[in-house]
Amino acid sequence: MNNYVYLFWGYNVIWALIALYVVFLAVRLSRVGRRLDRLESSLRDSDDD
Amino acid sequence: METSRSMSLWVVLGAAIALIFAAIYMAFLYAPTEAMMGPVQRIFYFHVPSAMVAYLSVFVLLGSSMAYLWTRRRGFDYVAVAATELALLFCTVVLITGPIWAKPAWGVWWTWEARLTTTLVLWLILAACLMVRGYATERDAGARMAAVLGIVAALDVPINYLAVHWWRGQHPQVFGPGKKDPLAPEMMHAFLLCMVAFFTLYLALLFLRSRLAAAEDRAQSLMDRVRDS
Repeated sequence: MNNYVYLFWGYNVIWALIALYVVFLAVRLSRVGRRLDRLESSLRDSDDD
Repeated sequence: METSRSMSLWVVLGAAIALIFAAIYMAFLYAPTEAMMGPVQRIFYFHVPSAMVAYLSVFVLLGSSMAYLWTRRRGFDYVAVAATELALLFCTVVLITGPIWAKPAWGVWWTWEARLTTTLVLWLILAACLMVRGYATERDAGARMAAVLGIVAALDVPINYLAVHWWRGQHPQVFGPGKKDPLAPEMMHAFLLCMVAFFTLYLALLFLRSRLAAAEDRAQSLMDRVRDS
């Protein structure tokens, strides 16, 4: 039975979904890191005032 | 403390990636081709570990949801968010790779068979958990409702696992009572390595997502402080 096409798509789906999720996590982590830095510095500035 | 935590996270993530490459090698080159189904049977090496990791994640969700409802400590809620998303991710992998295997094996993409249907029900409950959080106007109310739904999701797991025994559907049952030596030794080695790889990947992603939830919560409370000051 020649069913390599199904195997190919099966594995592509697995790794594409996991890779997309890892990218989604990395983007959100860097975004929230930048947001935390901004907020902490603006709180420090308001404490100094 | 924070540095050593980040370090261990990268170690686990690196180990997961190395194990995945080894698992792909084992699944494609080491394990023999199954005589009846041919190459498509190799989907099994990642389909079944995805299902096992989804089950594990639902049990993590159950534990963290119960602990959150009991103590109301935010740390448990961070783990619950992470476990919900990961259970949904791996459940999605199962629901897509299953039909890709089923088409050449059964001749149809989908059938309303007990195992498949209860997996779809689990996916819908997990999606509902995330939607409840997203739409809640108050953060803690959303976390409470999601925790209750998380417990409901866990009730579906034993039903899903035992569905093939109770309703004797079409879904193949490789492991279980009365199944002696269900796989050839090379297939079993490949399968076990895939399981280890997926569990390690799950652990790394659970840490990463819990940390993200904690950071987002901290950003929100800082935002409130900035607004008040």
